[in-house]
Amino acid sequence: MFRRSGSFAAYYVEGKLPDPTSPAFAESLEKLRFRTIENAASEESSVGWVTAGDPTGDSFEQEDIDLDRAIWLRVRFDKKKLPTIWLSIHRTEAERSAGRKLSARERKDLKEDLQSKMLPRVLPSVALVDVLYVPAESMVYLFGTSKAVREEFTKLFFQTFAARLILADAYEIACRSGIGRDARNYLEEVAPVRWMRDEAPVFGAKPGVRPHAEDDADAAAAAAAAHTQHEDTPDHDERHEEEAEEA
Amino acid sequence: MSDASNHGFLGEEFLTWLWYRLETEGGDFDLGGGTVIGVAMDDYLEFAPLDEDETLQTMRKGMPTRSPEARTALRSGHRLKKAKLIVAQGEREWTFVLDGTELELRSVKLPQDDESCESQAERDRERAAHFIEIHSIVRRLYARFLEIRLRPDYLGTAAEKQAAWMQA
Repeated sequence: MFRRSGSFAAYYVEGKLPDPTSPAFAESLEKLRFRTIENAASEESSVGWVTAGDPTGDSFEQEDIDLDRAIWLRVRFDKKKLPTIWLSIHRTEAERSAGRKLSARERKDLKEDLQSKMLPRVLPSVALVDVLYVPAESMVYLFGTSKAVREEFTKLFFQTFAARLILADAYEIACRSGIGRDARNYLEEVAPVRWMRDEAPVFGAKPGVRPHAEDDADAAAAAAAAHTQHEDTPDHDERHEEEAEEA
Repeated sequence: MSDASNHGFLGEEFLTWLWYRLETEGGDFDLGGGTVIGVAMDDYLEFAPLDEDETLQTMRKGMPTRSPEARTALRSGHRLKKAKLIVAQGEREWTFVLDGTELELRSVKLPQDDESCESQAERDRERAAHFIEIHSIVRRLYARFLEIRLRPDYLGTAAEKQAAWMQA
């Protein structure tokens, strides 16, 4: 069942992917499908493609991934780690038996010994993250927003399809929003508006725009003029005090 | 405070403009191609600090856009960093927190499933389409803002009007 809520990051795809209905698409996924670490005897993690219909990563059936407008994939992140509480328990026990603190070398040996004995019995933590690929828009939506998940995902996507993902942030969306050439050029140098208290809005110093008020006498004069225009309006603090008095 | 190198400030200015637009012209937008939507601000606002040392201002519950604290933040020149929005198109309604700095949609709640969906597969298709659609709507709203923001005369025209609203 596809989710009805959640957070996501959007990406533009730079590069050409195989037709999602073609065998080449499924083959690309299969090469980097998820591989289990259930029986691993060392601390490790595994990342790979699965589908909602088959979370093992063994198959990529068209009926499991085709949502008409989008292709629905999942990335499975498994991580096997020795619980630190177990390490702490065994270390305390060893130190009690020895009657002294363990050396760094002894602590390292103890950890390796515990890992080899216990990790095959430890189940990995599992995280499944939904992905929508929209071929018509060359966009990908990742339903996980942590930095680690994003990094692993963009790496996996590139390894799978040899296509780069560009995060759809304020700049990238602007570049692709159909703005004219002049606006596009201006986008490269646009600076934030500083909404100054009781002053006209001013930009940071950039070619073709008004300079920062602190650096420019004209802007300071304009700000003063703006202040004059507003001087009939009581200051917020004064108004607040008046309201408090009325109350 | 947003990093100017990635234009995060533009997303924050977009959110602040959206608030200004809703209060001065109403929340209806004709995005073209037959797409008419209604936008409203809900019960969560977060203002971007003016510098790194400033305390982050977050307002929850009730009607934060009507609060004196929100007006004070605007008068002090703060941009909106995040806001919870409601977007309606016909019978469908999405709610989400728009992170202006990253232009990302968080905690999205999709419209109710269409009762005519008879199978889970149909519901999955519809939900996926709703996620794609809300991102498209936000991109188109942002493009509408950019049309104004990237004009050469922006500072002397639209920005002046918005400044007056922020001071009011």
